[in-house]
Amino acid sequence: MDLAYYPGCSLHQSSQFYDHQTRLVFSTLGIDLKEINDWSCCGATSAGKFDDFLAVALPARNLGIAETSGYHEMVVPCSGCYSSLLMSQVRLKENPSLLSEINRDLTAKVDGSLKLLTILEVLLRATAEAGVKERVVHPLKGLKAACYYGCMTRFAYDVPVSDNVENPRGMETLVEFFGAETMDWSYKTACCGASAAINDPDTAFRLMAKIMKDALARKANCIVTTCPMCQLNLDAYQERFCNAHGIYERLPVYFITELAGLALGLPIESLNMKQHFVDVTGLINETRIADDTLTP
Amino acid sequence: MDVWTYDPADAKQFAIEVMERSNQNIFACYQCRRCASGCTVGEEIGFTPDRLIRMVITGNRKAALENALVWQCVSCYTCGTRCPNNIQGGRITETLKKMSREESITPRSPTIAYFHDSFVTGCTRWGRVNEIQFMGAYEIKSIAKNLVNLHFTDVWKEIREQSLLLKALFKQRRIHLKLQTAKGRNEVRAFYKKAMQKKTKSRNVFPQR
Repeated sequence: MDLAYYPGCSLHQSSQFYDHQTRLVFSTLGIDLKEINDWSCCGATSAGKFDDFLAVALPARNLGIAETSGYHEMVVPCSGCYSSLLMSQVRLKENPSLLSEINRDLTAKVDGSLKLLTILEVLLRATAEAGVKERVVHPLKGLKAACYYGCMTRFAYDVPVSDNVENPRGMETLVEFFGAETMDWSYKTACCGASAAINDPDTAFRLMAKIMKDALARKANCIVTTCPMCQLNLDAYQERFCNAHGIYERLPVYFITELAGLALGLPIESLNMKQHFVDVTGLINETRIADDTLTP
Repeated sequence: MDVWTYDPADAKQFAIEVMERSNQNIFACYQCRRCASGCTVGEEIGFTPDRLIRMVITGNRKAALENALVWQCVSCYTCGTRCPNNIQGGRITETLKKMSREESITPRSPTIAYFHDSFVTGCTRWGRVNEIQFMGAYEIKSIAKNLVNLHFTDVWKEIREQSLLLKALFKQRRIHLKLQTAKGRNEVRAFYKKAMQKKTKSRNVFPQR
C-alpha cells in the first residue's frame, strides 16, 4: 500500500528520530511511505497569527503537490502540520474564490481530493488487520502509559476530526493492543504551551507541570505522544518545570512509534532512542520488555 | 484610568469587522462561560474568552486590542470545541492580534509577536523552517528590545537559559545545522509578498485611529 507522507520541518530537524521511527515501523507493518516531492513549511500556528491569507496558502501548496502526484491519502505525523493542512483544506472547500486565487500562483494545483490522516489513524487501520496481533512479539507488560494527545489533533470546531474531541481513545486502543496498560486522566487533550516555552516560559511551565502532576497522580510510569512539539517540550523542559513546581519524579516521554517498534520486536538500537533528554531505556530495561528470553 | 463611553454605531462597526475577519458569529455568545472553564491560559492571566467577546460586542476597542489574552492565547482552540454556539475564540484572538499590529499598538507581550514574526519570515524565505535561523532571529529581536529598555538582567537571563537549551540539544544531537530549503520556495515567497500587499491595502480600508 502506497501512502503519501508529509514529514514537516520538525521531523527533519529536532525530532529527526521520529521521522526515522515512523518509516521503520510503517515498513515493518507493510505500509510504503512516499515522502511528497519538495514540500514546504505549513506555517504552523504562527501563520494564522501573522496573516489570514498565509495561513491558508502555505499548507495549500503541499496539498497541491500530493494531489498532482496522484495520491489519495496522506499521513501527517506532526499534529501541528496536520491541523494546519486540514484547516487549509476546509477553508479552500468553503471559499472557491480563494482557491482559484491560490491556484493561480501554484504549479501543483489544489483540487481538494486528498484525505489527510494522522499517524494514529494509519496505525489503527494497520493493526486492525488479521495476523498483526501475532506479530507483537514483545508485549509491553509493566508500562502504564499516560496517552497525551495534545491540543492539535483534536483541533475541531467546524473541521471534522476522526476521534472524539473531548475524550479521544485512539491512542489508548493502540497502546493496549501493544500490551501496555493505559488509564483515564484529565489532561490528555490539554495544551503544553508549544512555542510559549520559548516566548512565555512561566506560563508554559505551569501548563506542563499540570499535565505532569496529573499523570503522576494516576500512577503513570511514562507519557506517550504523537506530536513532536509536545514531546520536545515535555522532555527538554522536564527538569526545569519540575524543579520550578516541586515535582520530584521524572517520566520518560515516548513517541507512539517507539512503543510500536519495541512491541513489534524491532531492536532497540535500530529505533534510535538515544535522543531523549529524560532517560527512556531505564524503564525498558526494568520492565524487560525488549528481553528476548522472556518472550514466549 | 481610561474612560470608555458606549457608542452604538462605533461598537457595531468594530464588532462586524472582527466578525468578518475571524469568520465567527460573536453575537451568538450568551455568556455561558464554558470557554472560560476550558481556557488553558485563563487561570494564568485572569482573563477569559467570554469577556473578550463581550468587550468586542460592546465596542471597547482599546481594551480589546490591548488585552493580555490577545497575545498570551496559545491557540489550543479548547474554547471553540466547548462552545455550544460554535464560536472559535482562538480565531478571535488571532484576528485581534493582526488588528492590533495593523493599528501599530505595541503588543502586550512583545516576545510572542517577535516569535511568530520570525517564524513566518523564516519559513517564507527558505520554504522550510530552520530552527537555528528563526530562533536566532527571534533572540536577536528580543535581546535588542531588552537592551534598548536597559533591562540587562533579562538579557543575561535569556542568554543563559537559551544557551543551556542549545547545549542540551547539541548533546542529544537534536540540532541540525544543514540549511533546510524547498526548491519551490519562490511560490512561498510570492504568497508572502501578496500577503504583505494585502496588509497595506487593508490598512487604507480601516484607517488608524
